[in-house]
Amino acid sequence: MAKTLIVGEIQKGGLREATLELVTLARKLGGEVASLVMGSGVGAVAEDLAKKGGGKVLLADDASLANYTSDSYARAVRKAIETEKPDLVLMSNTPIGWDLAGKVASQLDAGIATDVIRIEPDGADLVFVRRMFNAKFDARLRVSGSPRIATVQPGANEAYTGSDAGSVAKLDGVGGESRTKFVEIRVAPAGGHDLTKAEVIVSGGRGLQKPENFETVLKPLVDALGAQMGASRPVVDAGWLPHEYQVGSSGQIVTPKLYVAVGISGAIQHLVGMKGANHIIAINKDPDAPIFEVADTGIVGDLFEIVPALAAAVKNAKGG
Amino acid sequence: MKILVCLKQVPHKDARLELAGDGSWIQDANIKFEINDYDNYALEEALRIKDKDPATEVLVLSIGPDRVQQSLRTALGMGADRAIQVWDDGLAHADSLAIAKTIAAVAKAEGRDLVLMGLMADDTNFGVTGPMVAELIGFPHATGIVSAKFEGGQVEVERELEGGALEVVKLTLPALLTTQTGMNEVRYASLKGIMQAKKKPLDKKSLGDVGLSAAAIAPKVKIEKIYSPPKGKGAEILTGSKDEVAQKFVGKVKELGLL
Repeated sequence: MAKTLIVGEIQKGGLREATLELVTLARKLGGEVASLVMGSGVGAVAEDLAKKGGGKVLLADDASLANYTSDSYARAVRKAIETEKPDLVLMSNTPIGWDLAGKVASQLDAGIATDVIRIEPDGADLVFVRRMFNAKFDARLRVSGSPRIATVQPGANEAYTGSDAGSVAKLDGVGGESRTKFVEIRVAPAGGHDLTKAEVIVSGGRGLQKPENFETVLKPLVDALGAQMGASRPVVDAGWLPHEYQVGSSGQIVTPKLYVAVGISGAIQHLVGMKGANHIIAINKDPDAPIFEVADTGIVGDLFEIVPALAAAVKNAKGG
Repeated sequence: MKILVCLKQVPHKDARLELAGDGSWIQDANIKFEINDYDNYALEEALRIKDKDPATEVLVLSIGPDRVQQSLRTALGMGADRAIQVWDDGLAHADSLAIAKTIAAVAKAEGRDLVLMGLMADDTNFGVTGPMVAELIGFPHATGIVSAKFEGGQVEVERELEGGALEVVKLTLPALLTTQTGMNEVRYASLKGIMQAKKKPLDKKSLGDVGLSAAAIAPKVKIEKIYSPPKGKGAEILTGSKDEVAQKFVGKVKELGLL
């Protein structure tokens, strides 16, 4: 790999961890590494990335980059690509990355692979590995042309921990208008159903089939274990339970001692929210469900038979 | 307002997916298909605009073989005004950019004020078609929206970020928006709607009909192989009768010191 350009992201005033994961990936591929940091008054972040493996860090510092907008960020990314002429451009598959990457690819008429977990050299070429069909299958992709663009799934690679003497260079001509106007960031009000401190969570998914079953099938097991009830995204999307029950990247990130996943197939967005649990027990009728890959213990079968049996056995063991 | 809603047909959520012989796709001959869930919310949002302003025209577009006509008829039954199907052998191995160019060609020819589609497709999970189309037709865009308020030629949307946070952005129409799941409550087609849908126009077009050629949309991304993910250590599976499994479950909970 001749040259990789990393498109950095800033979170809470500092470098986002996912950017350092891109550094790991770029360095594994070998060749030259350059990076881009965008924002307003973010020189310190660029200096930080230069020390953490970002190589030649281009600093796009302009008032128009204070908040993300696709027009302003795409302008800076294109400027960086013109300056560095990379063969590969890496972004993170985040709300910024997925809003930006397709636009840039379209502007450059470039091939793009999104939500990649690995990039493997194959002779002079690269193979982009990613999930498809909601993690049911893996796929190997070839992307032609130059530059190629990839967005990488956060958490799929370790953050780079080495230290290097990189450099920072200011990138000029990055200011301008944006047709999309940033208004504000709204943080959801804290709900009454805080799962982040729960010791035991029993979550239900689409496998429960209808909202009543959360009360009649799932709740007895929740109560027997003295647990809190959680849910997967499709359940919340369907309006069966309020958003404050949702476990996952767009809901709550939980770390209980025991997490019981009932009728949840294990979409990545859910796994991100619960893989930090000390012990995971999954109950699903599909033995190939991705949830069994992250679970410690699995039960394959009809949840409508199994869950009541579990609830009864737990109640029994408690002596009543 | 003239709206274009893009609908992708994907394998049904409960379809048993098997790999095709050459490993480059799934066997799709005998499985059930449905409208991509993300796209349902885009269609519903368009129909809500039409509910408020009956002068609105909702055009639905699907790229795919003749089976997509069923999804288009469903959309017409829900209240869309007319439908376009684009299919051509040259689209069989299309990548995201090729699909985006095809959608853009239709959007330009139809002169739209608003283009709506899902954030991503449930089969490929690429999630880049929306921003690509926006760029090709010169519209500003916002992805993964959970609300949209239209007022005075502008639209204010909430984009879903991580951890329940929302980013509020304002765009001037014409614009392209991609929808997150759960944005609204999607309606069902009424019996009357389904009857009316049979009489609504559904045009089938080739690449040439929309001013493109296979060469103009030659894919840059090729799916070389899809395969079942390598198994990790996996879970320890509890076996036996349901009562035996329940006893083993209790044993686990006790081991964890939670009982």
